[in-house]
Amino acid sequence: MTTENKDDYILQLEGISKYFGTVISLQDVTLRLRRGEVHCLLGDNGAGKSTLIKTLAGVHRPNKGRYLVEGKEVSFASPREALDQGIATVYQDLALVPLMSVARNFFAGREPMKKLFGVIPVMDMHHAARVAEEKLGEMGIHVRSPHQPVGTMSGGERQCLAIARAIHFGAKVLILDEPTAALGVKQSCNVLKLIHKARERGISVIFITHNVHHAYPIGDSFTLLNRGQSMGTFAKENISKEEVLDMMAGGTEIQSLFNELEGRAAA
Amino acid sequence: MRVRKISLWLATLMAGAMALPATSIAADGPHANERYVLISHAPDSDSWWNTIKNSIKQAGEDFGVQVDYRNPPNGDLADMARLLEQSAARNYNGVAFDIADYDVLSKPAMRITAKGIPVVTLNSGTDAESKKLGAILHIGQPEYDAGKAAGERAKAAGVKSFVCVNHYATNVASLQRCKGFGDAVGVDYRGSMIDTGVDPTVVASKVSAYLRSHPDTGAVLALGPNSAEPTIQVLERMGKAGKLYFGTFDLSPAIIEAVKKGELNFAIDQQPYLQGYMSVAAAVIAYEDKTKDPAAIIAKLKANPKFQQRLKTYGLEPIYTADGVRSGPAFVTKDNVSTVEKYAGQYR
Amino acid sequence: MSAITPPMTGSIGKTPAAQADERIRRISPWRALLNRPEFGSIAGTLLIFILFGFFAGDSGMFNLDGVMNWSTVAAYLGIIAVGACVLMIAGEFDLSIGSMIGFAGMMMAVPAMFLGWPMWASMLFAFAGCMALGWLNGYLVVRTRLPSFIVTLAFMFILRGLTLVLSTHFSNSTIVSGVGDKLSADPVVHTLFQGTTLHGLFGWLATIGLIEKLPNGEPVVGGLPKVLLWWLGVAAVAGFILSRTRFGNWIFMVGGDSNAAQNVGVPVRRVKISLFVFTAFCACLFGVLQVADVGSAAADRGLQKEFEAIIAAVIGGALLTGGYGSVLGACFGALIFGVVQIGISYTNFDSDWYRVFLGGMLLLAVLFNHYIRSRATTGK
Repeated sequence: MTTENKDDYILQLEGISKYFGTVISLQDVTLRLRRGEVHCLLGDNGAGKSTLIKTLAGVHRPNKGRYLVEGKEVSFASPREALDQGIATVYQDLALVPLMSVARNFFAGREPMKKLFGVIPVMDMHHAARVAEEKLGEMGIHVRSPHQPVGTMSGGERQCLAIARAIHFGAKVLILDEPTAALGVKQSCNVLKLIHKARERGISVIFITHNVHHAYPIGDSFTLLNRGQSMGTFAKENISKEEVLDMMAGGTEIQSLFNELEGRAAA
Repeated sequence: MRVRKISLWLATLMAGAMALPATSIAADGPHANERYVLISHAPDSDSWWNTIKNSIKQAGEDFGVQVDYRNPPNGDLADMARLLEQSAARNYNGVAFDIADYDVLSKPAMRITAKGIPVVTLNSGTDAESKKLGAILHIGQPEYDAGKAAGERAKAAGVKSFVCVNHYATNVASLQRCKGFGDAVGVDYRGSMIDTGVDPTVVASKVSAYLRSHPDTGAVLALGPNSAEPTIQVLERMGKAGKLYFGTFDLSPAIIEAVKKGELNFAIDQQPYLQGYMSVAAAVIAYEDKTKDPAAIIAKLKANPKFQQRLKTYGLEPIYTADGVRSGPAFVTKDNVSTVEKYAGQYR
Repeated sequence: MSAITPPMTGSIGKTPAAQADERIRRISPWRALLNRPEFGSIAGTLLIFILFGFFAGDSGMFNLDGVMNWSTVAAYLGIIAVGACVLMIAGEFDLSIGSMIGFAGMMMAVPAMFLGWPMWASMLFAFAGCMALGWLNGYLVVRTRLPSFIVTLAFMFILRGLTLVLSTHFSNSTIVSGVGDKLSADPVVHTLFQGTTLHGLFGWLATIGLIEKLPNGEPVVGGLPKVLLWWLGVAAVAGFILSRTRFGNWIFMVGGDSNAAQNVGVPVRRVKISLFVFTAFCACLFGVLQVADVGSAAADRGLQKEFEAIIAAVIGGALLTGGYGSVLGACFGALIFGVVQIGISYTNFDSDWYRVFLGGMLLLAVLFNHYIRSRATTGK
């Protein structure tokens, strides 16, 4: 299943544990991410996915275990440091400001500058608008105008914008926190298409979700979390979708559950 | 769209409200399009100026002209300065105002006189300041003298210490009143004054706190209804009403009651009706007769039958001097209160 | 339970150049104007002028001295409205502005009149002190994460009280007089803050007859009040920074979603604290200009001005929840305020109606703004 060759992995969590007071949020979790791989992190609500993402993103420091990036051990003091190492996290709230325009949001925190009259530093709005529109277009997202407020975009478009932004600014690892959770079918497909594009560019993706139907088609490997512990990491060829579902439901046979429900309804 | 509808209704409502007839009396006659204004320093909450508002309305009726009343809503003197500038820009035929603070108001007042508009001052301020501003007349009650006269009455009654309840301490005139009283009694007023503002609950609590911590206070001097009325209640509650020497400036129905009951030893009536009426009348005469001679103006006003009628109706007595007229002090005591009682708060 | 398997082909989506989005429609310039945050306040200003033109057209309100009269009021309010506006865009309020106006005046007057300081030193002292207080406000808000409403409310009382204490302690009254004369004698402070400027221009305009003359030959308005120039300057600088610079982008981000801003690396704390310092600067500028104009410092100056500033900013299109607004709009909001406040005295209406009218105007303006903004953000 997993090899021990460290050069293959862009990111590794080895035996990570995280405690909050008396609560054990993560217990001895191991996760290894290859380059250009889409790795799905699955688990029901309360399994510890948020804590894991935050640990990866640099918000939390693990109490036990090691965090390695490209073979070197790291300890992030802030999310900014993780970002500098190329680990970009797209949270559920997307870090987008609905009232601001697409261009301003795209370059938020990394605004392109030019000098007015050679002296006064101002934002290069022209450049920002042009580049934002271009780069988004490359990712398959067509905005009506780079000056339109982000609030006018649909949930799926916003999600793609956030991801495209992270990719453009040089993410090596993309961590996506439940990107399709609030989206409809068509929009979810667009997001998955975008993840595929990212993979084509050599970016590794950790895709956190509780929806197997979105995860299975796009993922190369899966880690299942249940109650803070890892139930194992599986490559796609070694596991079927139904088996993943079963494991997520805690080992019980999904099919028998549904049979029982149907039986009850009929009675 | 809902918002649009609401906005439309609101706009129509407001336009309609604005089309309501103006509240200044629609005047008839040859002087009907003359406009005059009286600008005071008083915030909307200062009830003492009601009498003046009413008196200028009557002056407008008697002389057949339009008169406006303007004041800074919060009593901010900087806003009052703006109003003075505005009256110059508006090109009123005459302007009357009170010199709440000479430094603040002198420049804007000069703008009015520079345009040749007749200016009359009233109420706050001294005769000297009024002349410096280029006003024709000052109709008021010299604050220091009034305070001193009151203080002398108190001294004659054996008072040796007092507290001055000041509800408008930003106005220099208020300090003059306390000082006059203090000098007559022989006490430094600065240690005997409390700045209460106009809120009645605050006034009451500050007065009772002072009297509790200074139980030997010989007298209380209030500077107007805003400070007198809460003090009356405080003294009643403390059981000192009628026992503690208590005097106030100005009149109001509650003050009259207290004088009748003997809880107030005196009330100083600066006859605000005269201040309002006569200042506007003087401005009108100055404009119509194109004169700046105070003696001539006062003579003409004295001879005016409508004015004399008003004096008779309200029992007013202006104090004429060599080149001017004073509106006070007139001491209202238990002996002469009944005549005043009828019009307290409105015309007295 | 069948999953939809999207085709995983190589190229996904058409190239941008080739596709003209059929959902884009050409927006007329008029529509584009309608979508700007300032539109509501510009329309409101026009409405007000039309109304007052109708009710007070021949009253002298639109003569040169009448214009100077209400534009001065607008200028004073405009200075603090700009400060309140940018702070509101960043999602915070400063309720201590009014008290700081009074305090600034006292901070300038007391050392000059009672401690023998030269005027320019007192002036610098006032500015330094106010900006330090602004910094303190910002630091407390950012550190404790308490609503700025509460923190600055506390300072509103503290500063008002300190102003009164300083005044009564040094001058035994609530007013410190005589500052105007001292100020005129100090060339730096006088030139910067007192009186009017461009006398030559106005004198010339009077001689060629474009401006009326007083009976004594002087032009009816001698010059442009300096407060107007300060207002324009502060508004221009703040507006430029807000819309064109990186810092301005940060202000919008911090107000729109401060978590998001933090996550993309915007120095949220630094931005907020600088804005509190700027608001304090504006309040101090107001206080100093007023002392120079009126000639004295008093304990009741600037009463309730913080609400007027916020109202002007809201009329100008700023959202109370932050993240949206415009300096130009706030300036128009201040103009509306100034015109209404003084203009009602030019009409024949009882000035008791002033507050009713002002509140009605505010409601109208806010409803209008809301309407405009909701159209803008839903992209119609």
